[in-house]
Amino acid sequence: MPGMNSGLSPSDPTLVAAFRSALLHQGAIALLMLVFLWLLWATARTWRPAVSAGTSGVTAGEPAEARARWLLRTGFGVLWIFDGILQAQPKMAGGLATQVMEPIAASSPGWVQHLVNWGGTAWSYHPIQAGAASVWIQVGIGTWLIVAVRGPWSRLAGAASVIWGLIVWVFGESFGGIFAPGLSWLTGAPGAVLIYVVAGALIALPGGAWRAPRPGRLLLAGLGVFFAAMAVLQAWPGRGFWPGRAAAKPGTLSRMVTEMAGTPQPHFLSSLLSGFASFATRYGFAVNLVVVIALAAMGAAFLSGRPRLVRYAMWSGIVFCLADWVLVQDFGFLGGLGTDPNSMIPLIVLFSAGYLALTPAAQEAEAPARAAEAKRPGVRSVAAAGALAVILLGAAPMAAAAVNRTADPILALAISGNSTSLNLPAPGFSLTDQNSRTVSLASLRGKVVLMTFLDPVCTSDCPIIAQEFKQTGQMLGAQAKNVELVAVVANPTYRSTAFTRAFDRQEGLTTVPDWLYLTGSLSQLGAVWRHYGVAVENLPAGAMAAHNDLAVVIDPAGRIRQELSSDPGPATLSTRSSFSVLLGQYARQALRQS
Amino acid sequence: MNRGPASRIRVGLALACAGLTAGCGTQAATVAVTRPPAVTASLSTSLTTAQGTWAIAVMGGSAASHDNFWQLFVRRANTGRWSLATPQGVADNGGLVAAGGNGSLVVGFRPSQELAYSPLATSTDAGLNWTPGLLDAALADTPGAIAVGPSGRTLALLQDGTIEAAPTADDAAAGRWVPLATLKALAASAPGRSCGLKGMTAVSFGPDQNPIAAGSCVRPGAAGVFTDAGGTWRSAGLTLPGNGPSMGTVRVLGLTAFPGGNAALLAVGTSLLAAWWDGTRWTVSAPVTADGVRALGFGPGGSAWLLLDSERAETIAGAAGSTWRALPPVPTGTAVLAPPGTGTLAPGTGGSYDALAVSGSRLTVWRLARGAWGKVQQITVPVQYGSSG
Repeated sequence: MPGMNSGLSPSDPTLVAAFRSALLHQGAIALLMLVFLWLLWATARTWRPAVSAGTSGVTAGEPAEARARWLLRTGFGVLWIFDGILQAQPKMAGGLATQVMEPIAASSPGWVQHLVNWGGTAWSYHPIQAGAASVWIQVGIGTWLIVAVRGPWSRLAGAASVIWGLIVWVFGESFGGIFAPGLSWLTGAPGAVLIYVVAGALIALPGGAWRAPRPGRLLLAGLGVFFAAMAVLQAWPGRGFWPGRAAAKPGTLSRMVTEMAGTPQPHFLSSLLSGFASFATRYGFAVNLVVVIALAAMGAAFLSGRPRLVRYAMWSGIVFCLADWVLVQDFGFLGGLGTDPNSMIPLIVLFSAGYLALTPAAQEAEAPARAAEAKRPGVRSVAAAGALAVILLGAAPMAAAAVNRTADPILALAISGNSTSLNLPAPGFSLTDQNSRTVSLASLRGKVVLMTFLDPVCTSDCPIIAQEFKQTGQMLGAQAKNVELVAVVANPTYRSTAFTRAFDRQEGLTTVPDWLYLTGSLSQLGAVWRHYGVAVENLPAGAMAAHNDLAVVIDPAGRIRQELSSDPGPATLSTRSSFSVLLGQYARQALRQS
Repeated sequence: MNRGPASRIRVGLALACAGLTAGCGTQAATVAVTRPPAVTASLSTSLTTAQGTWAIAVMGGSAASHDNFWQLFVRRANTGRWSLATPQGVADNGGLVAAGGNGSLVVGFRPSQELAYSPLATSTDAGLNWTPGLLDAALADTPGAIAVGPSGRTLALLQDGTIEAAPTADDAAAGRWVPLATLKALAASAPGRSCGLKGMTAVSFGPDQNPIAAGSCVRPGAAGVFTDAGGTWRSAGLTLPGNGPSMGTVRVLGLTAFPGGNAALLAVGTSLLAAWWDGTRWTVSAPVTADGVRALGFGPGGSAWLLLDSERAETIAGAAGSTWRALPPVPTGTAVLAPPGTGTLAPGTGGSYDALAVSGSRLTVWRLARGAWGKVQQITVPVQYGSSG
């Protein structure tokens, strides 16, 4: 997946700092937490069980919200906000594409990888915008779900949850791995966010639909089929879940748990997981038997639709899911790049809501809302509109980033460090271009000169830098006619015009207007290298000639305005584009300064 | 791949030539054909020029290919010591190819990473100084990809099978090369069609100074060696006795010129043969059997050596009628053998072959004396790890 890897470390300090800045640093995250807690408190304060509605002074004609819907709405609202906060972790901007999306997609078919690569590329080109957008969109959806209790606003929140959930499920979870081998309920199949999507769809149902047990029955029936299918998958011979050990190695489940134990986390948690992995290795058959029986039993109970059976299944399911959440999924959100608490908590919320919908309280259908709610509809509408604004705050830059084919210059800054702003006269030179014409710096007056030093027989950096310069020229558009792209040979041996021409042919530079590849005698080149602070030397034993990667921006008056490292770093598609954008920005700046 | 005995076809071909026949003089040979040849011509090789003996080997040892650097060593004439002579200025992770002639040695750098063409370097003082040259195309990945004639005319075999020529050494330095033939054109020519030419492996000059090209053919028993006579390519007439489907396809692993003739190393299945040409007739050696060839090279007078799997090494003198002679098991890590610098190996004598063993950035030179390898020199090469990363 060539596009989605920026090649930079997720912990790159420049990226992390920029991401923090975009999120108003730690303070903004803390503020979100406070708002989150306040919302929880406010919601808890306003909700009372329907049984007390009749005694608390209600306004007739406005039905109370069904318990099942309330559970879905607040439960998934809380989950979305929690996920949004997880998205604010420092490594998320630089690491989500390469360390979450790419590994998940790696075992999926080619078409899935291709699709995910498209999304991952957009992320890696604009990691700060994408990272921050994910935070705001998820916090916004969560807040919206919580504050919009009923009516079109509330149903729209459910629809928003469906749309964003599908985007995350496809690009972030590679369809929950359903097209990859090794699918298992234990590890989160069919993708945690698909459960958010189902919940969102249920929330989007008209409020009246919840007055009858039908949605509950349908939901439980669907869950029953799901659990039964997961039991079959878990029991299927040859999928590796039965043996605790296979070919003298830990079995599939043990390996999964051991892998999770390697996630950075408190020692007691990793010890707990390691202990369970050992247990699963020793008693693999028994462990899988328990899992299969439990899944099958829950499936049968949910399919039966009998409230008593469903209640037993719900409570035992909660215990079972929590055990899996701790012992197999390792809470899902640890390690600095966890995006959600995985599938067990949302699943608990979903089937619990199914039970509540199956058994509506006697008063629920008729009970009106509390008077306090009825008196404050404006507050909730405003709050819902605020939440929508938060979503748009994230969605707008993400949409802009997705269609922007050039990368954020922050990647180049992360690689080369901040450039140095200067205002010095550029040392003059007179050299020979690739067409054997003499070119002096003075002859380039009136144009911005983007200048670098390239070895024509270089095997790594120089061809990449040349491509970045070429791309800069293309990005400048009409302004390119005021910019000269100049490279000076940086090899004491292979420096004739035959080599500059060969290099130009190799890099497709022969047709680039305003491209000059300059060379000269060793003494001429030596003087230019010395004046511009470039150290060039031949190295022994088959190594490339060494030189530092440097670029300077010379304004039309012949003054150096910027000096920066042109080290292309990992030279991925996004970093190349990022360098070009940065150079283009400096060129425009120098044009303005003139 | 079925390696069971049932699948093995051992065909013993008693190749007897009752006498010299026109265009073909062949010694007895037994060619074993079992499965597609496992032999590949590594770029590790050695060659001898008037300046001395040269050896090329890859060093570094890192798992990352861009931390493996190819090195050129020279044992200058009249000295027994080796020294590092790798030309500077270009990263050579892609490999080095060398050819001697006209009092000089030309070294070509194979492309690697972002570099798509092949810089050259020429030395006329046994590697003390180098002059840059340019081949604005990718040199083929075979040790016989460059040839230099006595007049300085230079041939280069490209990655795509094209043969280019530079009329003089100056032209080669300045990048003035002209196409001589393409693989497609050669394969479509009468001799190319006759042998089913599918790829080129080496270039050289014949005794008449005309270019020679060699490659691999799909027609069993047909050897693809061609000569260029004024723009028309003709078969050089190398045919292996016992020609037929049972013989297997012939691949020319190496080709070189020596005063008065050419020598070639051929692979037919798991059989390896040497062949010599004096301009009118070929002489083919008896075969030696091997599962794989790690390196090969030529010495003075058409002599040749093979470094085989399992630390086996075989040498053969250039004289007609000579036979393969096994050397004692070579020292661990041996990457290349270097023949005696002067004279022709007399059959049955040990000569003074050197075995150059590589371990990371250390080269150990072992010399064969009185039937045993003795360590004579060690060179620590200043490999610039990470410089091509």
